[in-house]
Amino acid sequence: MLAQLAEAIRSHRPESIAACRALAERALAAGVPAARIVDAALIPAMADVGRRFRADEIFVPEVLVSAKAMQGALDVLEPALADAGREPFATIVLGTVQGDVHDIGKNLVAMMLRGAGLRVVDLGVNVAPQRFVAAIDAHRPELVGLSALLTTTMDAMRATLDAIVAAGQRDRVRVLVGGAPVTAAWAMSIGADGHADDAAEAATVALRLLGR
Amino acid sequence: MDTEPAVPRAMSSRERMAVAMACGRADRVPVMCQLSLGHVFLHSGGDPVEIWHDGEVLADALCTMQRRYGFDGILVNLPGRDPDWRARVARFESADSGWRVHWRGGRVTDQPRDDNPHVTAADGKPLTVPLERVDPESLFYVEPHDLEGLRTIPPDGFPPWQCDTLRAVRARAGEHVSVHAEVFSPFTQLLELVGYQDALLALIVDPGRALACLARLAEGAVHLGRRYADAGCDALLVSSAFVGAGFISRAHYERFELPFVRRVVTGVKELHPALPIYVHTCGAIGDRLDLLEATGVDGIDTFDPPPLGTIELADALAALGGRVFVKGNLDPVHTLLRGDVAAVRTAVRERLELAGRRGGYVLSSACSVPPRTPPANLLVLREEVERFDA
Repeated sequence: MLAQLAEAIRSHRPESIAACRALAERALAAGVPAARIVDAALIPAMADVGRRFRADEIFVPEVLVSAKAMQGALDVLEPALADAGREPFATIVLGTVQGDVHDIGKNLVAMMLRGAGLRVVDLGVNVAPQRFVAAIDAHRPELVGLSALLTTTMDAMRATLDAIVAAGQRDRVRVLVGGAPVTAAWAMSIGADGHADDAAEAATVALRLLGR
Repeated sequence: MDTEPAVPRAMSSRERMAVAMACGRADRVPVMCQLSLGHVFLHSGGDPVEIWHDGEVLADALCTMQRRYGFDGILVNLPGRDPDWRARVARFESADSGWRVHWRGGRVTDQPRDDNPHVTAADGKPLTVPLERVDPESLFYVEPHDLEGLRTIPPDGFPPWQCDTLRAVRARAGEHVSVHAEVFSPFTQLLELVGYQDALLALIVDPGRALACLARLAEGAVHLGRRYADAGCDALLVSSAFVGAGFISRAHYERFELPFVRRVVTGVKELHPALPIYVHTCGAIGDRLDLLEATGVDGIDTFDPPPLGTIELADALAALGGRVFVKGNLDPVHTLLRGDVAAVRTAVRERLELAGRRGGYVLSSACSVPPRTPPANLLVLREEVERFDA
């Protein structure tokens, strides 16, 4: 059943979105622990989706279908995960930077990180630097994620990092950046701690920054 | 009797662009960048709220930038505006990051100082419409940058001032500058209408509805392109930024983009066969240059080099074989925004060495010039094209 669930996520077929919910429900009903379903099916399946995306074997629509399928299964599993005492082990404040209203990449990252066991505080799109600062104070995250799709808006990442430094928060958080035009060199030049080319890599980098 | 040989007359900017867009070699390589509106806000001296909402002010600002940088052409990348737009405003408000415009109809525009504004409904929600609520038959054209934000325009719904900014730019720039208009591709219109995530999901979960929408939106783009051509534009840009390999597969490009851009091109050319039409697609397009060419366009714009895209200019020129004109390839971020004058000069010379002698090349930033690009970096482009051909 777990293999079926993983395959449904990988398949990115339209019917997999509904199928994954049903398979997760069946697995729970059959007594499979929710944490095992996540660890043995959801996470490896999405890691494979990420690998195929990086290899240009699949593209954003296919990743979106897989992520939506995974999210459907996760929605079913979350109450059971909470009952079993599997609490998020870290928090990330995530948003698309000011001036940019594109959210696909950010949403995919949010889904991947939830699947990996983090609490995600999603600030949405067009997020001003001071909103990131306020969210860091309010939620005490270990990580901050900044997303931008446009070459015209990626400079807002620097402004956000500057605001975090000015607020005296920089030593409390690790900052991860990503988005279509964002490169490792860019991340380094603005003083970010990490960079990811896609959502699957974002989860890997986030875990590395958290020392896991 | 000896006679002095005739000194060749320098071409006007408009002539130079026309020759390059016909894949010929002009008296020098033309130069024309697509400026982000944020760059225009910061460097034209105009008020951003006025530039965005008032076609006459935008025309002034675009011409100011064209003269400053010595560009051979101007892209008019906003539609004409209601001359009485202020009557539709309930109130203006200053904010830390810019300004806020409250419209009488309830929508709210947040206008930054250095970037495009964002418009939301009165309740702060986005203006996108769920795909399942869209009746494809009701669609014609989706204008993301209407005065009060996203607007679906019916066949008889284009306002009388639709082409006024284009005409105002022509009047100010004169007959010697190439003036280009812009329409959004059917695919871009769909992304803007239903939201990027839902539109891309629809390619797999509801392809029939997506195709039905795209067919209708292509007719709107044809209609608008014809109107801009009637109003005297020298070229038409079809904006289709998000159909590179960073977003969709070649197979999806062939199914959801190619036939509809082809329809826009053939539809406009039915009435304006000599009008150059080019497509603007960002990012990783190196795997699909043949498909972009198959749309029937006269030219292709951006050619983002690595790491933003996948285009090595020499390879792209060889692949296209001079059949379409090429515009772009200067890295807007790592070279124009973050580089210094020397770096820009080097990058420009490399492009000119590769493409400058073969014709059919317009020196340009790949994607739009970012808002905070130093003006000194942009001045290098005109200097270098003149030096190259001298």
